[in-house]
Amino acid sequence: MIARLAIFCGLLLGLAVPVNGLVTDLSNKRIEIRYSFSGAELILFGAVGSTNIDVRQDDYDVVIVVRGPESAAVVRKKAKVGAIWVNQDNLRFPSAPGYYAVAATRPLKEIANPVAFASYGIGFHNLPLVAETGAGLAMPDPEFRDALFRLRSNEGLYRQERDEVAIIGQGLFRTNVHLPANVPVGEFIVETFIFQHGSMRSRNRIALTVDKEGFERAAYNFAHGYPFWYGIVAVFVALGAGWLAGVLGRK
Amino acid sequence: MPLYLPIAELSMNIFLVMGMGALVGLLSGIFGVGGGFLMTPLLIFAGVPPAVAVATQSNQITAASVSGVIAHWRRQGVDFKMGGVLIAGGGVGAFIGAEIFTILRAQGQVDLMISLAYVVFLGLIGGLMFWESMRAIIRQRRGIVPPRKPREERHKAWIHALPFKMRFRKSRLYISVLLPLVIGFFVGVLSAIMGVGGGFVMVPAMIYLLNMPTNVVIGTSLLQIIFVTALTTVFHSVNTQTVDIFLAILLLPGAVIGAQFGVRIGMKLKAEQLRALLALMVLLVCAKMAVALMVEPPELYSVTDMDVMGEHN
Repeated sequence: MIARLAIFCGLLLGLAVPVNGLVTDLSNKRIEIRYSFSGAELILFGAVGSTNIDVRQDDYDVVIVVRGPESAAVVRKKAKVGAIWVNQDNLRFPSAPGYYAVAATRPLKEIANPVAFASYGIGFHNLPLVAETGAGLAMPDPEFRDALFRLRSNEGLYRQERDEVAIIGQGLFRTNVHLPANVPVGEFIVETFIFQHGSMRSRNRIALTVDKEGFERAAYNFAHGYPFWYGIVAVFVALGAGWLAGVLGRK
Repeated sequence: MPLYLPIAELSMNIFLVMGMGALVGLLSGIFGVGGGFLMTPLLIFAGVPPAVAVATQSNQITAASVSGVIAHWRRQGVDFKMGGVLIAGGGVGAFIGAEIFTILRAQGQVDLMISLAYVVFLGLIGGLMFWESMRAIIRQRRGIVPPRKPREERHKAWIHALPFKMRFRKSRLYISVLLPLVIGFFVGVLSAIMGVGGGFVMVPAMIYLLNMPTNVVIGTSLLQIIFVTALTTVFHSVNTQTVDIFLAILLLPGAVIGAQFGVRIGMKLKAEQLRALLALMVLLVCAKMAVALMVEPPELYSVTDMDVMGEHN
């Protein structure tokens, strides 16, 4: 009886907040890194659809978060030792996203208050980043955390307050997702949030895959999976190419 | 035209890479040097991670030395016995060098070590060469011909006192096997941590320390370089997966063609002037690396992706 009631309530809630009404899609859901890869530009389209938001009457905001695969990263800080600058202090982040981008219709602070963004983990400063220290996991030193953000931003891997979501009208919106040449490979999550009057009304997520393809993938996997044989092959290829270049060069 | 390098994991302009190969090839042709000690810093300046630059350069040197060793072999300019001893020492040196490289890489200090090694060696070699060539130029202007000592006297007494003597017929030498072993070892370490063939150390050592006849010096040193850089390539592949064979191959055509032109230019210049020019170039690269170490960097922080094998597919 209680279970039935719960299902009924759930259905009722589900009807009241039809989260499925938000639909998004990417121009390309599978990015292949090939020899000529120099980054990718994707278009994300979305429609608010049959949600409880009346797109004709109320203004709404769209915030799109693209998150790449996580991996360990070490941030090092140089210090002067004698006459030269040497890496000295370091902090290890056991899992930091290799790519992280936030795009929005307006500057984030105009859309909602920071607490709202914190609860959904939107924005770099709301990422649950921890540092690995000798005494276990700890809150990272903000200096190192900011450095990670700054360095990855300079590489185009972290983007925040840089990309805009354009509202085309009638509940339709679009944005560009910029993936730089050095984008990490793996599974990406594209999350779309609809905000209205400072609170989150609807969300959805879709997946994006970035992978090395063809020859590039084979070469990478070979080098990492069979490093000894990769080395042997590299030597023989070098010997062959060197011999060939010598023969051709004499003519 | 950008080209994605799957091991270095970066996109580079293909013409920039080939142009760098040609530039270094030209210089190596003009000056008759291997060029590894110019190519590795150039790759680093172009944005290739130092560890990848060093490991890849070993692979490229193997390729660049093949035709040279074949040519010297044809004209009987290779002492295989001496080469074998140098390779034995070099193999051990390269292994230890690659281990040092791996340990320092894990600690985030490999870039520093590469820079320091370059500053020290380029400074030493460049300084010595510059001093020696300037002296030669001044002497030539004044018309002084230094008296050349007979071969036996030039051979230092302490070298003859060393044990384990071995006969090298091709080089017409009867010396301790320890000396070429140590020279080979030292060059092997340099090869692994600096991405050089080591000719700039080995050739003077063969001439002045071993006292080998000049007609077998270049061929024998090239033989050693091929084997030691090949071993270094395998060691780096196994330890750090930093050998980018595509980058190595791309550098090759420019290097080969550039070297052909370089040799022609080099023949028009006088030997002393050539050495003085090369010395200046070496000192310039050294100074640039030294300054980079000493000036406060605009960004004190750096980030390294610590991808563990298999997680990154």
